[in-house]
Amino acid sequence: MRKDLKYLIFKDLIGGLLITLKTFFRKPVTVQYPREKVTLFPSFRGRHALVRDPETGEARCVACLKCVQVCPSRCIEVKFEVDQETGARKMLAYNLEALRCIYCGYCEEVCPVGAIVLTEWFEYSSRDRSGLIFNKERLLKNWDEFVERFPEKVYTNKFWNLKGVPEVLKPAPKREGIMVKVRE
Amino acid sequence: MKKEEPGVLMPEKKSIYKEITYSFEDPFFSPFEIQMGPQHPSTHGVLKLRLILEGEKIVDLEPVVGFLHRGVEKLAENMNYAQVLPLTDRLDYISAMNNNTGYALVVERLLGIEPPPRGKYLRSMVCELARIASHLLWLATHALDIGAMTVFLYCFREREMILNFFEKICGARLTVSYPRIGGVRLDVEESVLEEIYNFIPYMYEKIEEYEGLLSENRIWLDRTKGVGVITGEEALAYGLTGPSLRGSGIPYDVRKHFPYDAYPEVEFEVPVGKNGDTYDRYWVRLQEMRQSLRIVKQCIEKMPEGPVCAELSPDLDMPLYKRAYRAEAFGESTLIAFLNEGAQIVPKGELYSAVEGAKGELGFYLVSDGSGKPYRLHIRAPSFIHISALKKLSQGHFLADLVAIIGTLDIVMGECDR
Repeated sequence: MRKDLKYLIFKDLIGGLLITLKTFFRKPVTVQYPREKVTLFPSFRGRHALVRDPETGEARCVACLKCVQVCPSRCIEVKFEVDQETGARKMLAYNLEALRCIYCGYCEEVCPVGAIVLTEWFEYSSRDRSGLIFNKERLLKNWDEFVERFPEKVYTNKFWNLKGVPEVLKPAPKREGIMVKVRE
Repeated sequence: MKKEEPGVLMPEKKSIYKEITYSFEDPFFSPFEIQMGPQHPSTHGVLKLRLILEGEKIVDLEPVVGFLHRGVEKLAENMNYAQVLPLTDRLDYISAMNNNTGYALVVERLLGIEPPPRGKYLRSMVCELARIASHLLWLATHALDIGAMTVFLYCFREREMILNFFEKICGARLTVSYPRIGGVRLDVEESVLEEIYNFIPYMYEKIEEYEGLLSENRIWLDRTKGVGVITGEEALAYGLTGPSLRGSGIPYDVRKHFPYDAYPEVEFEVPVGKNGDTYDRYWVRLQEMRQSLRIVKQCIEKMPEGPVCAELSPDLDMPLYKRAYRAEAFGESTLIAFLNEGAQIVPKGELYSAVEGAKGELGFYLVSDGSGKPYRLHIRAPSFIHISALKKLSQGHFLADLVAIIGTLDIVMGECDR
């Protein structure tokens, strides 16, 4: 028996309509995407890139294969050769399937030199699969495109904090950040 | 065409459905069958329901699950303990923080790690934020199913803000992978904590707004009161947990009964319904959002300083097996033998531990054989168990009410099918 006065004067419906009426005078929160763009926060896990060393112009990767080992979806493939005299490894190919990547960020966390990063870049859809299978050149190009938009001179990533390792024992690029442009 | 050899009987094809027979006294009873889903928008994913209707009344119902099966449990058997964590994001993708925490807890209890206090508080805080986000999405879609479009838009507005917090904290919005075995991944900056703290009074206002739109609305009351009634005893017998059980009047909450993380140190109440119908479950979830805000507030106020991750927490590249070598010299050559001694790197054993997920009790059952990867990981997904109660809830109701009943159970098929 809800036929009381509140029910008869449509208090419930009018109360609801008043709440919706209030939003007439508020600012819209919708982002009109192609024209406006959302602001991404630092260390957003977006498109992959291999960091280009501004002094040598090459990737920083030392082919330690740690990223290959920790990747849960096994989307990274690294080919390398060993220098017979010095025993140093040289990375030859770095293939990364962005279609399989689950963007956990383990690779950038475990990398000892800060070579692979997930950049703050979210617009990289492709019309075919081959556009999302990144090789070494493509990954370096991704970094160049990212750096063009990057406002500051030194790049650091939140995920470079190695767990349980003191600050002084971290590798230098992760501690101080990477100079993204050549010093003038 | 290949000829069948005589004398070889082809195996009979077995239907996945069992035979349904009815002995109704009414001679004009003519049930007919409807397949609802898996593409139906109000089944919240890829749930398929095989309905037997009499007119518009539901006589029988059989859920068909498994369309979103990805084999998470089997995948986990081939990875080390740290690598499994991102997979658990994909179970209940709406409140990934709770899944991560549940998995991290079971491994912590296996390894005997205790997270530092700041890690515990941060984990509780993000879990409660995820619970609010999950309940907001539930309210949005549930109201949209029933016909209230405004609530849908309002809820997504506030959910967006919570997802922005997650993005600031850990760099992803849904698949967060933020909690870590033995704490959390990163520390949260003070500015972000302050933003979350300022968000709390705003959210209280908004919850009142949703209540103003729905709680007294006559259409909402007609669609939810007395629909999908289940008593407390029946709910326990079906294994319901979470808000679906508390709506029936049973105050079971893992956070209170088996406390973990920072929950023993914060104050909160467990809201309990009375009638066990759709309206009571709606009421319980709205009250739970308020309690979650209370917990978030207390967590930020009591947040201790210090490290966020335990030092003993396993590395990302932890080995699957520990290898022992023995080298023996035979003249000029050396023989290196691999030994199986010392292969055990984590304690052996099996254990079950649960967290209060947004949908209900989310349990992880882990069997360890001493190697660096789980021997077996079973996930007790609340959505899967809630779907089994669908038949009980919807028998005798109209087809249109089924949409409200599916909504009120708050099922996520990613968790159900795993």
